[in-house]
Amino acid sequence: MNPAVRIQLEDFSMDEEVSAIKTSSMRMGGIATFLGCARDFSEGREVSEISFEAYGSMALSELIRLRSDAIEKFGLLDARIVHRIGTVKGGDNIVLIVAGAEHRAPALEACRWMIDELKQRVPIWKKEITPQGESWVTSHP
Amino acid sequence: MIKVLFFGPVASRTGIHQATVAFRSGIRLQDVRDELAAQYPRAFEIVCFAAANGEHVRDMLLPLADNSEVAFMAKFSGG
Repeated sequence: MNPAVRIQLEDFSMDEEVSAIKTSSMRMGGIATFLGCARDFSEGREVSEISFEAYGSMALSELIRLRSDAIEKFGLLDARIVHRIGTVKGGDNIVLIVAGAEHRAPALEACRWMIDELKQRVPIWKKEITPQGESWVTSHP
Repeated sequence: MIKVLFFGPVASRTGIHQATVAFRSGIRLQDVRDELAAQYPRAFEIVCFAAANGEHVRDMLLPLADNSEVAFMAKFSGG
């Protein structure tokens, strides 16, 4: 089985990640997912591609810590985080967060919390490539 | 020697991904920042975060050991 936290160039399978978390505990009654995808339009501009760059070692250790923090904070049974780097096109997967708990509320809350925290504390940067040129994204709504 | 890393928007402005600063006894993170900000003022306009040896650092007075790895980073935009 793949590690629960990964940064990778290649695409991931949501089905495989959900299957993986289900095998970790038979007490899991709720699994929540967040799938972040690339948009082909941003800030009024067409976006051809999005390129991601990470401070690899620090980003991975921050994601591992984020998963541990979420498990402790929300009493999760398990959690998985996969983030892609490199270049993606509109519609491609970027990030997947999966949270599993005994009940739905902590799974849903943890999922929301993890993606919000990821944007604040994990050193990954996004560059949008448009027909007019390319620019780094500095906001994270 | 202190290894300094730049990524993404900061690296775009410095034109380099890595620099070095000579180690001296008592050197602090702020000293490294000051030295590089003087060389790359446009890049440091967007620096919001610093890290030392892969950990977030908020205290810029952190003393650095020889062979430390530091990074000056712009606001993150992953996810």
